[in-house]
Amino acid sequence: MISFQKEQIFIVTGASSGIGKATALLLNELGATVIAIARNTERLTQMKAGCKYPENTYIEVKDLAENIDALPDYVKSLKEKYGKFSGMAYCAGITDVTPVSFIDFEKLQHIFLTDYFAPILFTKGIADKRNNSGTGTSIVLISSMSGVYATKGMTAYCGAKAALINSAKCIAKEIANKGIRINTISPSDIETPMTMNDNIKTLLEQRIHLYPMGIGKAEDAANLTAFLLSEKSSWITAQNYILDCGSI
Amino acid sequence: MKKTDFLVELEDILQREEPCREEDALEDYEEWDSLSKMAVMAYYDKNFNVKISLQDFQEIKTVNDLITLAGDKIE
Repeated sequence: MISFQKEQIFIVTGASSGIGKATALLLNELGATVIAIARNTERLTQMKAGCKYPENTYIEVKDLAENIDALPDYVKSLKEKYGKFSGMAYCAGITDVTPVSFIDFEKLQHIFLTDYFAPILFTKGIADKRNNSGTGTSIVLISSMSGVYATKGMTAYCGAKAALINSAKCIAKEIANKGIRINTISPSDIETPMTMNDNIKTLLEQRIHLYPMGIGKAEDAANLTAFLLSEKSSWITAQNYILDCGSI
Repeated sequence: MKKTDFLVELEDILQREEPCREEDALEDYEEWDSLSKMAVMAYYDKNFNVKISLQDFQEIKTVNDLITLAGDKIE
């Protein structure tokens, strides 16, 4: 049975919706203190109100794609406010469908800012031993099935998510001797507000037959995240978990 | 760069929670490992345009040795 102590503080980004919200709610339910980060105050407040122990959830409103170079300092400021972190679930991200014929530098940069540069620099802040609680600290980055298997129309997104998986393995090797772990999760089609936008929804409808047990839920990704953040996974690092219900 | 500023920078490069002092032996720092040496190399290259090789570290024993290596870039 996975459980956490109130003294274990976890950052969850993208905590106002989808996988981030499900993860924040689950970690809170399992006893942890959660620092929930997202752009939308109203949705964060709603999430907090839905927590089993709302007094253990703290809200931080921030756009992580802004002032990216300062993200490690932002993590430091959060540490000074709340204490050292036991880990992080980085769930913030954007998806995108653009055929290569319409790709330009601006588009690539936009997707990579949010889906690659920000999580890596945020991880830099958490991996700094002055900001984490040392041995037992665990980091989970939400990548995507698109980071493993290419999908047409998703040049930028597939690239950023693939880069995230491999960089996480690099970081894992650098921080393993400090007892800190980092893994990525690559969910396939998960039903979230992000994937329910019209473009993505159309692609999803074409793939629905691949899932005999149905499309995944945000809670499915949250369950695996909680396991990877817990001491139950203390011998697991540098892995990427494909969460696709066997569809591939 | 002033020496005092460099000592603060070094504290950050090594992710130390204690201040660095000129006379400190680097081997006494638990943070002084191959990765932190690579971080120092990258910092010197970027900020001082000084290239350090891994072999150079055999001669670098103290914080002061590191300061010397920066030449007139650290006053």
